[in-house]
Amino acid sequence: MKNNKILNISNDLRWQIGDGFHDKLTEGIYSDAAQIAQNSVFKKGQTKRFRFDRSLDKIVTSKIWGFPIMILILSVVLWLTIIGANYPSGLLSELLLDTIQPWLKETSLSIGFPIWLAGFLFDGVYLALAWVIAVMLPPMAIFFPLFTLLEDFGYLPRAAFNLDNLFKKAGAHGKQALTMSMGFGCNAAGVVATRIIDSPRERLIAIITNNFSLCNGRWPTQILIASIFIGALAPQSLSGALSTLSVISIALLGVFFTFVVSYFLSKTVLKGEVSSFTLELPPYRPPIFWKTIYTSLIDRTLIVLWRACVFAAPAGAVIWLISNVTFGDTTIAHWLIENLNGFGFILGLNGVILVAYIVAIPANEIVIPTILMLTVMSVSISGVGEGNGVMFELDSVSATGEILKAGGWTLLTAVNLMVFSLLHNPCSTTIYTIYKETKSIKWTVIASVLPLIMGFVVCFVVAQVWRILL
Amino acid sequence: MESPLTYLLYFLLIITGLIVVFYPNGGIYWRLKNSFKNDSKTLIEDILKKLYHAEDGGNSLSTNDIISSTNIRPKIIIEIIAQMKANELINFNNGNIKLTENGMDYALKIIRVHRLWEKYLSEKTGFDKKDWHDIAEKMEHKLDSQQTKELANDLGNPRFDPHGDPIPTEFGEIESIQGEPLPVFKEGTIGRIVHIEDEPDIIYKQILAEDLHIGSHVHIVENNEKRIVFHSEGEEYILAPIVANNITILQLLKEEISEENTFRLSNLKENEQAKIIGISNECRGEIRRRLLDLGFVLNTKIELDLISPMNNPRSYLVRDTAIAIRNEQAKYILIEKIKNDANSN
Amino acid sequence: MMQTVTKSACESCEHSNASGLKKLGINIDNSDFVVALAGNPNTGKSTVFNALTGLRQHTGNWPGKTVTRAEGGYSFGDKKYKLVDLPGTYSLLSTSQDEEVARNFILFGKPDVTVIVVDASRLERNLNLVLQILEITDKAVLCLNLMDEAKRMEIEIDDRTLARDLGIPVIPTSARSKEGIQQLISTIHQVATGEIICKPHRIKNVPKQINNAIEKLCTEIEKEYPNIPNSRWIALRLLDGDERIIEAVKTGEFITE
Repeated sequence: MKNNKILNISNDLRWQIGDGFHDKLTEGIYSDAAQIAQNSVFKKGQTKRFRFDRSLDKIVTSKIWGFPIMILILSVVLWLTIIGANYPSGLLSELLLDTIQPWLKETSLSIGFPIWLAGFLFDGVYLALAWVIAVMLPPMAIFFPLFTLLEDFGYLPRAAFNLDNLFKKAGAHGKQALTMSMGFGCNAAGVVATRIIDSPRERLIAIITNNFSLCNGRWPTQILIASIFIGALAPQSLSGALSTLSVISIALLGVFFTFVVSYFLSKTVLKGEVSSFTLELPPYRPPIFWKTIYTSLIDRTLIVLWRACVFAAPAGAVIWLISNVTFGDTTIAHWLIENLNGFGFILGLNGVILVAYIVAIPANEIVIPTILMLTVMSVSISGVGEGNGVMFELDSVSATGEILKAGGWTLLTAVNLMVFSLLHNPCSTTIYTIYKETKSIKWTVIASVLPLIMGFVVCFVVAQVWRILL
Repeated sequence: MESPLTYLLYFLLIITGLIVVFYPNGGIYWRLKNSFKNDSKTLIEDILKKLYHAEDGGNSLSTNDIISSTNIRPKIIIEIIAQMKANELINFNNGNIKLTENGMDYALKIIRVHRLWEKYLSEKTGFDKKDWHDIAEKMEHKLDSQQTKELANDLGNPRFDPHGDPIPTEFGEIESIQGEPLPVFKEGTIGRIVHIEDEPDIIYKQILAEDLHIGSHVHIVENNEKRIVFHSEGEEYILAPIVANNITILQLLKEEISEENTFRLSNLKENEQAKIIGISNECRGEIRRRLLDLGFVLNTKIELDLISPMNNPRSYLVRDTAIAIRNEQAKYILIEKIKNDANSN
Repeated sequence: MMQTVTKSACESCEHSNASGLKKLGINIDNSDFVVALAGNPNTGKSTVFNALTGLRQHTGNWPGKTVTRAEGGYSFGDKKYKLVDLPGTYSLLSTSQDEEVARNFILFGKPDVTVIVVDASRLERNLNLVLQILEITDKAVLCLNLMDEAKRMEIEIDDRTLARDLGIPVIPTSARSKEGIQQLISTIHQVATGEIICKPHRIKNVPKQINNAIEKLCTEIEKEYPNIPNSRWIALRLLDGDERIIEAVKTGEFITE
């Protein structure tokens, strides 16, 4: 009770002082600061910003060069990531999938593991883990250090400065440009990166829309499907260019949706949230190269990979189980595929794809292997694949195409799969991260369900229009 | 399987349905929701407010005046007024309605909640200025006295709402606004904007579009029946008298008048130097605090540093640091330009 | 009076505020002193953290990088130190998430020493935060970082005058090249053990009307809680309508002893 007395006095005093308390206090502190600094700081040189900084800033924020430099840097980073990751990914998958996995399974069988246990552990859990590591680790180990180097140098705040006006029009924050770019590497990391946005409303917008950045886990799907179905539309010499173009259009479509959804959110559900924009442009500092590489591996890559593994392992188990556990005379997978085929058809997809996306929530990387496995299983192609519940991929793109076409895939299925791969719920790692960052079930649900509904709607409309026109 | 066309039709039908039901404000859902709100308590409170404002302006209203000022059926209004009479909130005097003491207290309570809520919206949320009134209009019927007290305490018992209107105290005391409507003043007058009326909506939106701020100093240079021209913070404004009438000005005393060298930061050009002389009262809550924390305080020297490719935001050099803010915020920061010849030392 | 406060804190050694720290999620079982690291964004705070602990925390050239706290440890002599890296903030007066984390830690966690990292080339601006922290805590060390950058910009700083004006030890460092870190470590030790007693600067340039209000409220707080070291800060926050502090006054949270 005695404490209430303090509060009552304080309320009274606040009424007497009126509005300007914070202003006057801040002014007081700053004038103290000025006095103290005057006593002990001596400036010999020019007090203006360091010459090099300023001339560099004049270039990177100029009307002519600002945007080209940004686009160039982002393209180089993405290109290095996609090209550079190919080789180590191949090596890793050879090692983890083609060498260690069969060995594990044989050894376990030879020391007396029951078949179901060996299957569950090594065809299910291990395979999913290995797959995620092989596909995810190399691109992230390239992308994040590159990004971190830019960050340490101090370029990123300038990019936010350049782009803020665009994002402002969508009710968002300039720094969202960076979390969006980070999302191209990994959405979970992109969501964590939204911490740099200090305004609550803009941060929520950035979190919810991060999923529209096509992440590393989805690029391979896009590239594979585009080269099988879309590249084939053009003559041999142009097919590479056409499929690349189609993948880029999907990524740009994602950027487009980022803006549209940001605008929509800021005008509706997020209308009353506090919004503010301030951005310090820090001095440029040369990054300490090896240390940056090392810390970004530890800080970002490994943490994200670890989270992905935690989620992938149970997913592997589930994939194996639904393909091997039978009710009556069908497996759960079969039953699901049968039941989802109708809905899938309306969306221009099929049951296999929907089942794959349900069980592959943990990681987008395992969608294609799961689709292949389920396709082979459901149309009973013999001689391909590794058995029920064992995900696989083929070295040859055309052989993969054969399987998918045997599964009833058309150009429409391929286009819609590409669209759906962009517009669906975030992977469970990202969902979990969103929850940790927002600490709100409401926003987590919105961030998860909104893109899924959009995916359904867009695929549906594309499918109907396609069928009417063609 | 149906044909794709049928599916598409179903889809369009569902979408149209959703739009019809949920379209912001116009949708069926919102209308239904609103129609429930027009219960007698809300109506009584709205009428009390109307009466208060009329009496405050020296006018009085008849039952017919009230009927014609709303779009609610006359029959209901008449019933409500009878009910108010029975509850001793009002009296009749030559056909005009008068507030009783009880009625006056009640009206002030509603006005207190309304203005406190506008203050809350301006300080603690990101709602746009033009939405404040409508939201407060709904909230004023919802808060009980305990909640109102807590709200007032949280806000530090403010005396004025963001439009410059005084907020009645818990005990129904209310300060009066000083100053007169802008058109009253002669050419050459220098004054300060103390109040901007937020009703009617159409005129308020016009004033908002002009981007005038409460607390700004104005210098009237032309005043006739057609238009009023005045300068404020380095900009020139031309308003129709009917619009200007909703802006209240307090004439400045001689010693309060400073040189006419006040500009908005958004006005600062490259290679110009300036000194911050304050942040407009229109800049509130979180963003005001942040600007202060970043060093945008009184007497700080400031320069334009960089302009982003799309002109907005711009970065300013404040206390040796480049800080980017949007032009929308820069216009709330008031500066005094320092003559260039003082630059050399 | 300050002398006795310091002594009593060290008699019961080493933790004056074990329960408060536990509440904030700090495990203090294996350390003798808790040291908080505060500072503006972009002052190389994380680099100082790494130089002290050897831990490789990522140091982005980004305003407001560390939103959650990072923790590490080091030993000096026979004492173990727990180092907590607080989010970089411009001020402790606003209500953003990172400022709240930093503010709550210093106020409720009561670290044994607070190291304030400032950018030597932009000292005046950084002092805003320093002066605020000195209102909350008596035991602080100023780490005048980025001396190399300041030198390049031909800025000289008289650190003895600065130390005198602020009433706390000032250590010039260049954390990137580990210059001055040893001295920082030993000064932290001296402040933690009470060898150096700080007489921190208190904010002076406050208008009279506000100062009167602050004093009035201060007296009231001190009347109820005679041993509270930062009554003035609490008064400031109450007058600013800080909801977290109002709540703390209601529950009596900030008086843990």
